[in-house]
Amino acid sequence: MRLTRREITNKLFHPKTYVPIILLVLLLAVPLLIKNPFYQDLLVMIFFYATLSSAWNLVGGFAGQISLGHTAFFGIGAYTSTLLYLNLGLSPWLGMLAGTGLAVAVGIGIGSPCFRLKSHFFALSTIAFAEVLRLLASYWRGLTKGGVGLLIPFQPRVRNFMFRGKLPYIYIALALMLAVALVSHMIKRSRLGFYLVGLREDQDAAESLGVNTSRCKLLALIISVFFTALGGTFYAQYLLFIDPDTVFSLALSIDIALFSIIGGVGTVVGPIIGSFILTPMDVLLRGWLGPIYAGLNFIIYGSVLIIAVIFFPWGIMRWLGKKYELIVSRLPGNKLSSDVEEVSLSPEVLKVPDPAKDKPVIFEVKGLTKHFGGLAAVKNVDFQIRQGEILGLIGPNGAGKTTIFNLVSGFLSPDSGEVKFKGERITALKPPHKICIRRMGRTFQLVKPFNNMTVLENVMVGAFSRIRERRKVEQRAREMLNLVDLSKYRDFLAVNLTIADRKKLELCRALATEPELLLLDEVVAGLNPKETEEIIELIRKVSRQGITLFVIEHVMKAIMSLSDRIIVLNYGEKIAEGAPMEISKNRKVIDAYLGEEYVT
Amino acid sequence: MSTIIFQLMINGLLVGGIYALISIGLCLIFGVLEIVNFAHGEFLMLSMYATYWLFHFYGLDPYLSLLIVIPLFFFVGLAIQRIIFQPILEAPLLSQIFAAVGLSVVLQNAALLFWKADYRTVKTAYSATVVNIGNLMVSFPRLIAFCVALGVIIALFIFLKTTYTGKAIRALAQERRASMLMGINIYRTYQFAFGIGIACAGVAGTVLMPIYYTFPTVGALFVLTAFVVVVLGGYNSLTGALIGGLIIGIVESFSGFFISPHLKEAIYFVIFILILLFKPTGLFGRKEKA
Repeated sequence: MRLTRREITNKLFHPKTYVPIILLVLLLAVPLLIKNPFYQDLLVMIFFYATLSSAWNLVGGFAGQISLGHTAFFGIGAYTSTLLYLNLGLSPWLGMLAGTGLAVAVGIGIGSPCFRLKSHFFALSTIAFAEVLRLLASYWRGLTKGGVGLLIPFQPRVRNFMFRGKLPYIYIALALMLAVALVSHMIKRSRLGFYLVGLREDQDAAESLGVNTSRCKLLALIISVFFTALGGTFYAQYLLFIDPDTVFSLALSIDIALFSIIGGVGTVVGPIIGSFILTPMDVLLRGWLGPIYAGLNFIIYGSVLIIAVIFFPWGIMRWLGKKYELIVSRLPGNKLSSDVEEVSLSPEVLKVPDPAKDKPVIFEVKGLTKHFGGLAAVKNVDFQIRQGEILGLIGPNGAGKTTIFNLVSGFLSPDSGEVKFKGERITALKPPHKICIRRMGRTFQLVKPFNNMTVLENVMVGAFSRIRERRKVEQRAREMLNLVDLSKYRDFLAVNLTIADRKKLELCRALATEPELLLLDEVVAGLNPKETEEIIELIRKVSRQGITLFVIEHVMKAIMSLSDRIIVLNYGEKIAEGAPMEISKNRKVIDAYLGEEYVT
Repeated sequence: MSTIIFQLMINGLLVGGIYALISIGLCLIFGVLEIVNFAHGEFLMLSMYATYWLFHFYGLDPYLSLLIVIPLFFFVGLAIQRIIFQPILEAPLLSQIFAAVGLSVVLQNAALLFWKADYRTVKTAYSATVVNIGNLMVSFPRLIAFCVALGVIIALFIFLKTTYTGKAIRALAQERRASMLMGINIYRTYQFAFGIGIACAGVAGTVLMPIYYTFPTVGALFVLTAFVVVVLGGYNSLTGALIGGLIIGIVESFSGFFISPHLKEAIYFVIFILILLFKPTGLFGRKEKA
């Protein structure tokens, strides 16, 4: 689709376009107007910290993996280029590349194992890692001169990455900042961005939607490390002095994160805003208080941090972002034009092959067994599901129903037994995203919405597993939301939905991955009769599209009317299998689960 | 040679006892609140200063000052839990980590502001006293520090096993909601647990004072060690923290002698990373709660 000239002018004179351009021009022009070295230095520092913080934000903010050891990569960048320059005379521009290369390699080495650690332990391991590097740099005196530090003699030449006057440094720092901001912006809008936020909000749910969480985290880390190491070389060339206690310090790691937290974690401009506010504050406080009251500036700093995370964990951008949109909407040129046209519901939203008449078996479980400690949660269970059918799974609490779901969807590994899907053995497939990619979807008994994403974005994470192009993904997600009647909440954060709507969202999100087999874990539990009715109708609709369903449910009315066949589980063993009517009359089932009242 | 080995063993064990005490406080707080108290070392530092000033101004013997330090730090812990951590018990990880980090920055620099960066120590009559056991030499204040640490740890274990509050703390560490339903006042219990954890750091600081010197960033040194210990022992096991502390003490003493005292930290950080990677539950840890 090519834009006409008119469309281009319209776009250009839209405030969403011209406001950022004006801001950019201002950013580029301001350094030329400032002649005072003190303010020039301040400007370098603002851009420099914004760069580091934006880079940290990719891992700590987007992906929610809180690193307190980013100085490790910063220090590797600084030391590599400096040592190469001092010892071999290699231009720091090339040294910078070597530094980023080394830092990225180390990042991959340390990141892939550490990402397996949950929550606090990831943060702890990053601290330990940076600390090891600091100790090594202090100890290895032959190479690094230890705690004395390395001094780079000032020989201003472009080749040496040294300049008379601060103006070149300002523009280099600005370029770094803009580069990382641009990359963040692109990531934020891309599939990777959606996946990172998704896995931050709920890793299991992300996996179930086909997100390769380890790979996404590692990718984010690589990009983050790249810019952090660039920052390291820049720092060394700007100050012409590095020592282990500064470039590997925990304090710097904390600072880097702080700018993002104050500005707004997980946003593109948050870290930049944070640096624009905090860097001058820091420099001024240090100037005023430093000589007389050493430490007072840090006390203020720390207090700001505590108050910020307790009361405003989302930072200034939550507030500023809204203001900005409001201002933009009032500026001239803001014509009402939506980026994505409203879509009418296409009749065949779910494109799945027609159910074959002879209904081949698409899913088969043989001898499935799982023990937890001494307890057999699932014992030697066999069953099959035919294409297009609805198979119900019932049984008392603790019978092993959800365990079976977890076993067949890759969240748990069975002790023995085999699971076949479309003729392929999927038992050994881990982690779970591989199973989603093979077109088996699932929902969770305790719903796992991505709380801090909008309803639309939740569904988009699912849709990204099949479609690459963002516009199409968004369109698909809108269609899916129409299908489950959630369009009216499209732009609400998922955290604000009622239980019934969260269940619908969970179903919708799983459907967006275009499964051929969908596992539904108690989707009507805890809903009132009207809501239950709605969801059952929805499940029927899904089934009519040819999707095979495997359903756990406690609400008898629901499961009896929905299922073509039912299997009954008790103490991990299959005790009955058959049509709903047979099951409801089966003696064993009545004794174990249904109870006498059900029969009468 | 065997004398050296025994000597190193003893030195390591004695230091390890103090590490264990610091770590048990950290472990208790993490086990119950699921918050890593990044400011734990700063409480240790504050208690070292408290001991120092009590000695400096009132001539109070460091060991006697325990009588003041323990209740004082217990109540400080209560207050900190109430003011800072209670509001963010359910908050995202980011808030929990950086609230503690922020607290650490504030306390460290408060010490710098008030007491400058000077190294301070107390000189007592027994500071340099050495007890001879056979041909082994044991520093008297280190021996006392070890005994006090062990005594406090034993008392804490008994408290947790026998008293109602102790049982409530253990219950809370297992399951928050069920504890609430069983009529445990969870907020009071959280405060108690935090207070006890901080008081442990307080005791450790006090008994360290006759051996070591204090300065505003001394806590950072010890807290990093404590993290290693807690991860080594299994973050939800107090026994693990005790044994982990002793192990790290011995590792430190041996690596300091045979490799280099400058690299001893690097060595136990490597242990730390290896444990996290290969046995994240630690030596004595339970599996993570489902």
